[in-house]
Amino acid sequence: MIQMSSRFRRIAILALPIALLTAACAPEQTEATSATGGENVSGAIAISGSSTVEPISVAVAEKFNAQNPDVEISVQGPGTSDGFELFCNGETDISDASRAIKQEEINACKENGIEPIELTVGIDGLSVVTSSENDFASCLSFGDLWALLGPEAEGFESWSDANQLAQKYDAQGAPYPDEPLVITAPGEESGTYGSFIELVFEPFVEEQGLKEYEEEVAPRPDYQASGNDNVIVEGVSGTPSSLGWVGYAFYKANEDQLKALEIDGGQGCVSPTPETIASFEYPISRPLFIYVNKQKLQENPAVQAFVDFYLSDEGIASAEEVGYIPLEESELEATRSTWESGEVITEETGS
Amino acid sequence: MASRAGSLTASDLVAASLHGRKRDIGGGIFQALLILALFVSLLVLLVLLYDVISGGISVFSERGADFLRGRLSIVTAATAGVGQGIFGTLLLTVIVVLVAFPLGIAAAIYLEEFAEDTRFNRFINVNIRNLAGVPSIVYGLLGLAIFVKLLAEFTGGRTALAGGLTLAVLVLPIVIITSAEALRAVPHSIREAGYGVGATRWEVIRSHVLPSAAPGILTGTVLSLSRAIGETAPLLLVGAVTGFLASGGASLYEQLYGGYTALPVVIFRWASLPSQDFRALTSAAIIVLLALTLTANALAIILRNRYERKW
Repeated sequence: MIQMSSRFRRIAILALPIALLTAACAPEQTEATSATGGENVSGAIAISGSSTVEPISVAVAEKFNAQNPDVEISVQGPGTSDGFELFCNGETDISDASRAIKQEEINACKENGIEPIELTVGIDGLSVVTSSENDFASCLSFGDLWALLGPEAEGFESWSDANQLAQKYDAQGAPYPDEPLVITAPGEESGTYGSFIELVFEPFVEEQGLKEYEEEVAPRPDYQASGNDNVIVEGVSGTPSSLGWVGYAFYKANEDQLKALEIDGGQGCVSPTPETIASFEYPISRPLFIYVNKQKLQENPAVQAFVDFYLSDEGIASAEEVGYIPLEESELEATRSTWESGEVITEETGS
Repeated sequence: MASRAGSLTASDLVAASLHGRKRDIGGGIFQALLILALFVSLLVLLVLLYDVISGGISVFSERGADFLRGRLSIVTAATAGVGQGIFGTLLLTVIVVLVAFPLGIAAAIYLEEFAEDTRFNRFINVNIRNLAGVPSIVYGLLGLAIFVKLLAEFTGGRTALAGGLTLAVLVLPIVIITSAEALRAVPHSIREAGYGVGATRWEVIRSHVLPSAAPGILTGTVLSLSRAIGETAPLLLVGAVTGFLASGGASLYEQLYGGYTALPVVIFRWASLPSQDFRALTSAAIIVLLALTLTANALAIILRNRYERKW
């Protein structure tokens, strides 16, 4: 018994300093946090969101940082949806997005008293790609894309498997040859995945009146999905009869390995070029956005200065420098006037 | 060693007298397979090393120290570097050392020297072993829930402190296990001698057991550090910065409560970029990370060789 109690005493002696240490540290550090937190608000900018837009924001941040070395900036790219979650929690000041904000995201922001300002900063074309060695595919219509990549195409292992389906929808690329259909494309977490659905499948479902897909439509689940665009490029260039889609910048950077297919959105075959994408003549192109937390503008002059710089000629040129299509003059004017008026978005834009 | 070698020859002699002069074909094949297995794993390692070094060496020859100092970027490959990554990794390492080592070693001392062999304590022991095998992403989720969200007041959210604490929790079970092994390796005669001259339990531990176990504890903890240095997944979850980071001249203390990045995170992000320039940078960053972990491992080996005592 004596041994037992002395043992406990020793443990208590060991535990005491640890307990004291934690107790001593905790309040002190909490205080420090709030102190630095107060400072940070005036000079720190947190940007998160789409990994597609991330390079633009990074390029702008680099230039801005060269002129304003005292401002703390962090830029991240976990994905558009993850970005909005952080943004609507008030954890970030600016959210990069490769699609427009959804109504439920606007509502989530509103619940936390956050009003987003929507600014278009560039345009990205989605390139439907195959290997540069593919010699049979050159132009695909939305019907072809549906027959090859849509939910009804599940299980098709060869291009010719899709012939019947393609005929049903008057797809003009059919009949296809009997070649293995190897698909590598973005996975669900990617904004490029969502954009493909919005720009190709949703309009197609509406046009064809496919009731069962009206609520929700997704590509066939049985393809090689990756969040890493380099993996997609490698997968697509690895087989001559491959198929997949990537952002235009990625196609451009790997032009020697990939072949971008022309797309027929109803007005004839259009190949993705900077001109056709900027004019939205190429049917699957998407605007790229940044969303700014309006409340932060008053509290944090750094955010105001940063977005001012973002939309300046020098800042906005970054979109083109990192491989995207610059906004046309009129679009840029519209973005700038939105910024000047500080108009917040309260309803989902139907773009 | 001598006795083992002796018994080997004895068994060889017995085998020879049993089989006569016939060669042991099965044994020979098995030995060849074992050597083959060794070469396959070595070959994989060599191919990896060759691939990384051939891809990244140009960066060092062209930019040298500039690459080691350069800041995080995913746009301008010409000036991008691993400076912030190295700094972040070192910052996280310091937090891990300060948090996980004392906690882990203290827990190991308790488990080995004080805890009695009850069912509950055995349960704790088994659990710690299991925790050491839990995938790191799970610790990332834990860090996100506890250090980033729940303790946001204390850590400041997605900060270097939260990241460091997450990594500390990640290596804690490994530190406990290796320290406990080292303590267990100290012969009982040492403790008994201590008690024999009237030392208390704490005196025996402090002046005999711990010094004897120190080399082993040190080796194990340094090895666990190199695991922490290489982790990516949990850091991505708890908000390590991937794109661009400017600290705006914040002090070291303020950076503890600010954004951070780390070498493996930088490698992860660069590997997904389209430009060829960044592929070379990725390889170069991998070389830096390899060098860092190798240094940590070499340190562990040197410490062990220097202080290890045979009983």
